[in-house]
Amino acid sequence: MYQLNQVSKVFGGRTIAVDDLDLKVRRGEKLALIGPSGAGKTTLFRMLNLTIPPTSGTLLFDALNVSSLHGRRLREVRRRIGTVYQQHNLVPRLQVVHNVLSGRLGAWSIWRSVRSLIRPQEADLAYEALSQVGIPEKLYDRTETLSGGQQQRVAIARALVQNPEVILADEPVSSVDPALAAGIVKLLIELSETYRKTLIMNLHSVDLALAHFPRIIGLRDGKISFDLPAAEVTDEHLAVLYAGSQTEIGEEVPSLAELRPVRSCQPRLTT
Amino acid sequence: MPSYAPSAPASLALPRRHSSYFPVVFSVLFLLTFAGSYRLAQVQPLLLFDAEGRRNIWKFVAGMFPPDLSWSFLSLLGRPILETIQISIMGTVVAVAIGFPLGLLATSSLTFKGILNERELANSRPRVLLRKTSYLLARAALSLFRTIPEFIWAFMFVRAVGLGPFPGVLAIGIAYAGMLGKVYSEMLEHVNPGPLEALQATGASKLAIIVYGLMPQALPNVVSYTLYRWECAVRASAILGFVGAGGIGQQLEISMRMFDFSQVITLVAILFVMVAGVDALSARARRAILGRQRV
Repeated sequence: MYQLNQVSKVFGGRTIAVDDLDLKVRRGEKLALIGPSGAGKTTLFRMLNLTIPPTSGTLLFDALNVSSLHGRRLREVRRRIGTVYQQHNLVPRLQVVHNVLSGRLGAWSIWRSVRSLIRPQEADLAYEALSQVGIPEKLYDRTETLSGGQQQRVAIARALVQNPEVILADEPVSSVDPALAAGIVKLLIELSETYRKTLIMNLHSVDLALAHFPRIIGLRDGKISFDLPAAEVTDEHLAVLYAGSQTEIGEEVPSLAELRPVRSCQPRLTT
Repeated sequence: MPSYAPSAPASLALPRRHSSYFPVVFSVLFLLTFAGSYRLAQVQPLLLFDAEGRRNIWKFVAGMFPPDLSWSFLSLLGRPILETIQISIMGTVVAVAIGFPLGLLATSSLTFKGILNERELANSRPRVLLRKTSYLLARAALSLFRTIPEFIWAFMFVRAVGLGPFPGVLAIGIAYAGMLGKVYSEMLEHVNPGPLEALQATGASKLAIIVYGLMPQALPNVVSYTLYRWECAVRASAILGFVGAGGIGQQLEISMRMFDFSQVITLVAILFVMVAGVDALSARARRAILGRQRV
């Protein structure tokens, strides 16, 4: 499905996020990426779903070199890759049905998309997807009224409606109640098994990764630290992977979140 | 992890405070500018109170009362009042029609910057150049539109298309398109980019991203600002009559020129009621939109 040869991503000419990475993912495979924050997992995901291009190296998707694609042909390839984000990335003011159906935007004409905002097109499809993730009754609710876990389910429904060949899930449970996290990870695995999708997931939680995924990749400083079947991952592997970084995880995340409203001089335009 | 040697009294050495002369320099410059302006603008508050000034003010104020509420005068006003409102509405519509597309072009996160363009514009200098050019042209057009006051636009359009309400509509349409487009683009740029990135990743076209991601997020602000501009347009369309662009301003200008202050006060009162009414109306609309948002 994916073949990466010596892929690197450098930001601003000096910050190396992903460093000379080789990776092969077969169709239908399920694999988890783990590693400390700042290891380049999200950057790798953004390259895998064709949001950002690699600085160097080649990225083949289904044996197709995607580096030169743009316009319509780029969008057609993006359609085949579904992404579930850490922050859901739903539009809060829209009804759930529209957020789910936005997975169809790649297939719809612009007129159909606009019409759908007035009278939902293929609403049965959205309903079916929501039933799959267990919240069909929320179809016409406003998305912002849903809880974090429910919103993540809506985001998964969006990916289902898109009907991609690969599902990329970037820390899908980091902003969800830990008690619900396992449920969502299981749901994604079950769905990708039922519909024969390739599933690649970033996970903060090593336990969840080891419990549910046959293949584990440890990423550290933009490099692959290990790439093993779950059964062969030892404590030593993990110790090397997280050496010197465990403490930072707890400190960094909240401090950034605190700073943001102070730093921005713009009035908040989204509530 | 670097180790900090405990022997060195590092904690005592305060980090060097960055001192700069800028605040001082700017304060002095500000005072000089203020003093200069006071002289050059010929500010002479006493002029208001000298004998001649007092006499003129008294003449003006006394002339206002009683306000002219005669039917013969009021019956003249129905049409100009309606005309003023219509000019403001049509002007705002024209302004949105011109300002919104230009505002989209002038939104850097849509045209050439950020996550929505990173992949599309990678290793293609001609495309980057094209996008940047259209962005700059849109910005230039918008700033040209708004730096020329609507009064001057009206003056020019009266010469171009003749007296009447139409030049007023054009003047408000053009001048306000400049303001609306600029503010729209700022609102669109500060929308949460996460959902846009997600929509793009599903293979949505840019237009679809605008319709599904950008507009729903920016809509409350866009509507609220547009309504505010409509209020301003009512005020402006009252003034535009002074250069012959129709509306209640034309009547105001005639009465003023004839030193008929009792008519002037009636007209000012009507204008006040109109603006207050529009204000209340748009406040209500805004509340409806923002309130719905919070549900």
